[in-house]
Amino acid sequence: MASSQPIKSPMGSQSQNQRSSQQGLKYPSNGKTIYHRPLNRSRTQELSQASFAYLFGEMVSYAQKRVTGIQDLEKRLNNQGHPIGLKLLDLLLYREPARSQTRPLHIIALLQFITTTLWRHLFSRPADALEKSSNPDTPEEYMISDNEPLVNQYISVPKEMNQLNCAAYVAGIVEGCCDGAGFPAKVTAHSVGKGEEGELWPGKTVFLVKFQDEVVEREAFLGR
Amino acid sequence: MSYYFAIIGTSDNPIFEYEFGTAKAGGDGVPRFPEQARHMNQFIVNASLDNVEDVQWGGGQMYLKKIDRYYNNYISAFITGSNTKFLLLHHPTTPSTTSTRASTSIPANPTSPQTEEAIKQFFVEVYENWLKTVMNPFYTQGMRIDSPVFRGRVAAAGRKYL
Amino acid sequence: MEQLCDNSLGWSVVSQNKMVVYALIIINKAGGLVYQRDFAEGLNKLSINDYLVLAGTFHGIHAISTRLNPLLPNDTPSTTSRPLPPSGIEVLETENFRLQCFQTLTGTKFLLFTEPQQPNIENIMGMIYGLYADYVMKNPFYSLEMPVRCEGWERRLVREVRAVNSR
Repeated sequence: MASSQPIKSPMGSQSQNQRSSQQGLKYPSNGKTIYHRPLNRSRTQELSQASFAYLFGEMVSYAQKRVTGIQDLEKRLNNQGHPIGLKLLDLLLYREPARSQTRPLHIIALLQFITTTLWRHLFSRPADALEKSSNPDTPEEYMISDNEPLVNQYISVPKEMNQLNCAAYVAGIVEGCCDGAGFPAKVTAHSVGKGEEGELWPGKTVFLVKFQDEVVEREAFLGR
Repeated sequence: MSYYFAIIGTSDNPIFEYEFGTAKAGGDGVPRFPEQARHMNQFIVNASLDNVEDVQWGGGQMYLKKIDRYYNNYISAFITGSNTKFLLLHHPTTPSTTSTRASTSIPANPTSPQTEEAIKQFFVEVYENWLKTVMNPFYTQGMRIDSPVFRGRVAAAGRKYL
Repeated sequence: MEQLCDNSLGWSVVSQNKMVVYALIIINKAGGLVYQRDFAEGLNKLSINDYLVLAGTFHGIHAISTRLNPLLPNDTPSTTSRPLPPSGIEVLETENFRLQCFQTLTGTKFLLFTEPQQPNIENIMGMIYGLYADYVMKNPFYSLEMPVRCEGWERRLVREVRAVNSR
């Protein structure tokens, strides 16, 4: 459309010359970058669960391509969640009121941040339980329970894959949060909605947080 | 006063660097490091990372204040929730022994409470902009930040507070 | 379900004042049976093969019925939206049961067998369609047009229909 050449944007030619070095994909045409947007959002802003369900369904299908097994699939879902945990850790700390804007220094403080602040941000409610492993041999293990993980709401895992829990994605978010805060950990999701309890909460999931030895060591050194 | 600001990632990798001079008390915003010392800035800042690690578990505050000093270079630090470190090296042009005059002014006295507060405000503003970078879906942890908008924001914060 | 006093006689013995949803069949757009379930006890059972034949036959009759419209198609071309396809069979009634057919825009057919006087069938059908859209179509492990084997769908469907039947 060479004939339309003379019709210029209202910005005029001089501003176009000024910004000639800034053209390209990096700059949106209205000049508003990610830096022009506020970091705070109103509390009530929520997303449609249906659209999330479709997106998450596609994420699971994508992760399922060319996997070697269930563990591999869970690992991939975990990897998808990991960077989100890292980013949310900083974002949610920033949104905390200035007085309580502190980095978590202890395991308990971190896990409480995860089960309340993070959970509320993601699922609009706190996690259902936070427990420490009662086994004295595994002091590095903690358990976060969610009776009805939002990501699993519409998912029915086929019988031949009954080891799988798609909340591995959420486990990845938790793991990213722990890693970012300096508490390296392995987090896995396990379905426990079987037997008597399963009647009430068939989708109940426990996130097993297994901190690395150095974290427990530091915890002992710092004192509680 | 001349400043050297660096953001250091979780594996002690530099993510962002910026040099500037004071804009207060008639400063022109140009850094004036002695030519023979300028290349040392990176080393001095890197060496102070050990001190950050010493104090970071002592309290949950993000602003760690002045954590190191090397001759006439003072280093202040800020640490984010995900262990990214902001380090600011400040180097007074004249040695701070002339504290009889203008001892509270930010550009002259690197240890006064006013300077401490000004640096905190600078860090908080950079923190907000850094966080916006991090929220970019195409940014992964540890990546260098080379957005000119971010650089501009850091420069503006430097002009505003320091 | 105590009213189902004599099982051997099948559907006809269900007491008249009790409204009951008997069964649900889902047929995919190619006429294949993808789901079948009974909701009342003591119903006449067909063999799997017969259900498949039933689904295929109904699919065929339904297709024919969409062509039987004796009126000329009213020719007002709409620029904004595509006109709905002709509906075909919607209800089939007998003395003992009523068959409601609901076809989605993508060609999946839901067949609901109920008491002849069952009220609010539209609502029940809407509820079932909603559950299908949520718990089958949003499930990443369900492949389109294949038999429905989703535990979550099954659990909620049975719960909801049981609530309707005990009303």
